[in-house]
Amino acid sequence: MQTNLLSNVVDDKSSSMQNKINHPELCQWLKAVAISRDKAAFTHLFKFFAPKIKGIARRKFPNETQANEVVQETMSNVWRKAHLFDENKGAATTWVYTVMRNVTFDILRKMKSNKEDMLSDDIWPIAESAGNDDEETFVDHLENQQLLNGIEQLPEAQQQVVKGFYLMEMSQEQLATHLNLPLGTIKSRLRLALAKLKVQLGENHD
Amino acid sequence: MIKHHPKFELIQSFVNGDLPASLSAAITIHANICTSCQSKITQLTEHVAEASFEQGIDQHISTGNLAENNVKKECVSDVDQSLDEVNDFDFDDMIATITQCADIDEIQPSIEKTVEFKNKIYALPKVLNNIEFSRTAQIGKLARTRLMLDEDEIHTNLLHIEPGGSVPEHTHKGFELTLLLEGSFSDENGEYVKGDFIMLDGSHKHHPVSNEGCLCYTVANDALHFTQGINKLLNPIGSFIY
Repeated sequence: MQTNLLSNVVDDKSSSMQNKINHPELCQWLKAVAISRDKAAFTHLFKFFAPKIKGIARRKFPNETQANEVVQETMSNVWRKAHLFDENKGAATTWVYTVMRNVTFDILRKMKSNKEDMLSDDIWPIAESAGNDDEETFVDHLENQQLLNGIEQLPEAQQQVVKGFYLMEMSQEQLATHLNLPLGTIKSRLRLALAKLKVQLGENHD
Repeated sequence: MIKHHPKFELIQSFVNGDLPASLSAAITIHANICTSCQSKITQLTEHVAEASFEQGIDQHISTGNLAENNVKKECVSDVDQSLDEVNDFDFDDMIATITQCADIDEIQPSIEKTVEFKNKIYALPKVLNNIEFSRTAQIGKLARTRLMLDEDEIHTNLLHIEPGGSVPEHTHKGFELTLLLEGSFSDENGEYVKGDFIMLDGSHKHHPVSNEGCLCYTVANDALHFTQGINKLLNPIGSFIY
């Protein structure tokens, strides 16, 4: 979809000679994508970023197909993750750069180490991860966090058992060997801990 | 107080996405504890992003060093060419494909990952959540768990030293990064605390001792090499830790 605004940004040589980036405009487009899945706004973003992403990708990848993959994957993430952009935390360019760098990192890692573990978003988070940001957490995650907080409040001996059993997925027998305790003790600690957690979570739900 | 930080060049490569996952994760862990490195990273990322998306592509990454500038000049013709290709490139098609997708990606809540050494459970930094760990192996007061990152000669471990334990005096042919996650240790150069980012190379010799015990994240690209008398017999420990 060609619009006049678009041709100003991309096609008009005299405007593309200016080195200034119109940050508020980029921000608005990103928000329009986030809030109303606005395809026209996405097209503007695409025409602004895609050629530059491709130019940058061409330096890291020998062939054009891979560079195109970076463009496609980055812009596709922009479309699907625009709601994670927070203008109070940084410029739109910084956010798109992070998305692009992460896509590039994961593709390069896959090529070199043959690993598809997609670590980039852990190394450079696209958004503050839900755990730290109270307002942005989702309901199920909130419960999760409450549960983890609940576990932290248990006596040390019970914590060990709960964490080992649920978070590290060890069997009760393995825990008994590891902690050098009778199996019965592990079982009773687990039962006590779960009863306490139930009470805590129940209280929070009232 | 944290006294040891990644060098600026390392932070720069981190921001550019040029470091291996092992070192990138180490910088993320350090920066989550160290606000001054965190703000350096934020500023530099902003700067590099801005430079990347300015109109004149040949100005990309103005923080680059001389060598990079030379490469850049050689690349200019390439880039011009790719810009021509870009003009022929079917944007509308790609835009249509992407915007067809109605889904949005939510952030997955992260569960705290833990590791256990000597019946003590340690909560680990979030950045390690999706990395596969090996089983723990133990020699004396040292225990280690490998992080299965598959980065060829670069090996990454969680190294646990029990109270009173130490690593005999050694040097490295390559580099050795030690990032202190819990506890403390000391060597000839002083005492290290949680968050300290200690990068050593072949010119350093040291003999770390941990009185209260500690958990470290280590990255090395060659086996440790023990240097002192009888300790030379311990060189298998060098490959154990590497």
